[in-house]
Amino acid sequence: MRKPLRSLLSSPVFWRGAVSIVAFVILWELGARSKQWMAPELFVPLKEMLGAMGFKKDYLPWIGVVPAPSTVLIAWIAVLGQGGYWQSWYMSLFRVMSGFVAAMLIGIPFGLLLAVSRTAQGIGFPVFEVLRPIPPLAWVPASIIFWPTQELAISFVTFLGAFYTIVINVLGGARSIDLHYFQAAQSMGSSQWDIFRRVILPGTLPSIVVGSAVGMGITWEVVVAAEMISGGGSQQSGAGGGLGFFIWSSYVGGSYEQIVVGMISIGIAGFASSELLRWLGRYVTPWLRVR
Amino acid sequence: MLNAQTAAPGDVIPVLRESIPFVDASGALLQRVAALGRPRRYAAGERIYNAGDEADDIYVVVSGRVEHVFGPGISAQESLKRMGRGGVFGWAGLVLGQTRRFASATALEPSEILCIGTEDLVRALEVEPLEGGAVMDRFATMIQREFTMPALLAKVRRLSGTPLTEEMSTLSLTLYRMSLWLKSPRPYLMLIGFALFLGLWYLFVEVWKLPRFREMPGITTVVKEWLSPAPTYGLSVFTEEYYQHIAVSIWRVAQAFLLATLLGVPFGLFLGWSRRFKEYVFPVFELLRPIPVLAWVPLAIVMFIATESAVVFLAFLASFFATALNTMLGVESIDESYVRAANCLGASRWQVFRHVIVPGALPFVFTGLQISIGVSWFSLVAAEMVSGQYGLGYVINTSFMMVRYPTIVIGMVTLGVVGYATSAMVRIAGDYMMEWRVRELALAER
Repeated sequence: MRKPLRSLLSSPVFWRGAVSIVAFVILWELGARSKQWMAPELFVPLKEMLGAMGFKKDYLPWIGVVPAPSTVLIAWIAVLGQGGYWQSWYMSLFRVMSGFVAAMLIGIPFGLLLAVSRTAQGIGFPVFEVLRPIPPLAWVPASIIFWPTQELAISFVTFLGAFYTIVINVLGGARSIDLHYFQAAQSMGSSQWDIFRRVILPGTLPSIVVGSAVGMGITWEVVVAAEMISGGGSQQSGAGGGLGFFIWSSYVGGSYEQIVVGMISIGIAGFASSELLRWLGRYVTPWLRVR
Repeated sequence: MLNAQTAAPGDVIPVLRESIPFVDASGALLQRVAALGRPRRYAAGERIYNAGDEADDIYVVVSGRVEHVFGPGISAQESLKRMGRGGVFGWAGLVLGQTRRFASATALEPSEILCIGTEDLVRALEVEPLEGGAVMDRFATMIQREFTMPALLAKVRRLSGTPLTEEMSTLSLTLYRMSLWLKSPRPYLMLIGFALFLGLWYLFVEVWKLPRFREMPGITTVVKEWLSPAPTYGLSVFTEEYYQHIAVSIWRVAQAFLLATLLGVPFGLFLGWSRRFKEYVFPVFELLRPIPVLAWVPLAIVMFIATESAVVFLAFLASFFATALNTMLGVESIDESYVRAANCLGASRWQVFRHVIVPGALPFVFTGLQISIGVSWFSLVAAEMVSGQYGLGYVINTSFMMVRYPTIVIGMVTLGVVGYATSAMVRIAGDYMMEWRVRELALAER
């Protein structure tokens, strides 16, 4: 345990990365506090220039309104003790998981069916391809109309987000299997089920892993927006919740630090779940491990 | 080869008639082709030619059997083909840009074979360009269907003096593909699929009025509204507003996509090219990337005073990450030995960048651009739904608020069509700029 740490600490790559991140945070802090340090007389010409370019005079454009990292950190620490924050985590996670698991349960068999049966592909694939370009978020209103509860509506939209990616990946993976494997299996007397079980399934597994990791990322994207649109848009009480709603209500309430807290939280959640999936993927496809 | 003896052209014509390329040929043309033929005899097991030989003759089997085996690296679906009387092989000389044999051919039994000089045949076909062109087309079809070569490689030379223009030949090719497609079960299955989808929608919502489905807009309502000159909810193909929304959305995506391409491609190239640059910049990039673009919505609204720039910024952000990341991966996928070879030949750092890195990364760049246009629509819709006036996302959201349900579906379908059209444009541009790559993939059995 000590050795990797020491090699990490002695590697210049690590330090360069650390330097750049620290520099980024410092620049962010400086930019965010531009209203304070631009107050003295010295910066009048700069202010005039900004004004001439059509920006607000008092602070640097764009970055000047973003809350500083130090205030974000303080807001975050304050929020850590609140139950509502963790409730948001839980609700978003729950929606992502339900949508994602549904997408896996329906998407993988559907993709395999399309890959195995030419008839199924002929019937199903064109319809699928026509629906696919419609962004999942465009479904939000239709989904709210259709599903009895807001909860189900959001889960359905997250399901759509992951579903297309998983199906496309499963189909692509199954198609890329070398034809010789089928010929070899058939000439050695495999049944249809054996071919499915021993050739198609392991052959598509790597694509399933990739598809689900990508799908998981999309799911997080979608859940945030769905929560904002449904929770932020409608006045129904009790609906909403979740990190997307956390961000939206912070925005409405004017506490900009909390917006950034919410953004970072979602980043962490999305990153952690994708990494978890990749790790699981490496576990189920040990033959792909690079030695 | 045992001996060459002259055979009367009259014996040869029936054989030619049995061969695929000459099935429909006129008597005059057959006479001319038959006159070119030199009959030869091969013993059982005798090699007629090898893969890689000069492709100077075309062969027609008169009697006996011949085995035709594609050489390594040729991406025919089936590499082995046996043929008897009427079989035509040795056609490599007719394939566009090909002067060497693709395959080797061996006589399986004592065989009598007619050899026709490739160039002689081409000249004979050029006498009657229209009929000759038809024969060449049949050659192409045979190469693709009988010898299972991929369509991309089964392209035959153009006869000089053919009155067919480029457009004409592509037209006939598309017509031919259309007829093939219509003969396959695919279009009918597709019709069944759409009929099922639309039929179920109609039945569930408007006929049976199933619970939950009842509230949804039905297909006939949507279509009527969409095509109505005086729409109930104010949006149809006849209203100017409809096109305004489409134009606004396309304009936003175009701005975001162009900006993301202009900034993302060079950024990705530098990330992949210079290790030092990557070590310093990439960690920050990776730190920001997991934050979903849509989580930026409120912050963007705060940062940009004008909602218009906030919406474009969000679409840009999504595109930028996709473009930069794929470009970087593209540079990293370049075989190190290309860079070394260029360095050995005295290329400067800039020359390596210009002639190795940029073209080498191009396939990944275009993959990135396709993803990028997709995600920019994706986040544009969210941004428009939350903030902004005009745009298709705005149409969907306001129609929901104001209970104009059929308009929601109109907005969704329009969004799908427009989104698909823009990504198709990017894909076509990519294929056009990278024809070498498409050909390479076909050759490498992919």
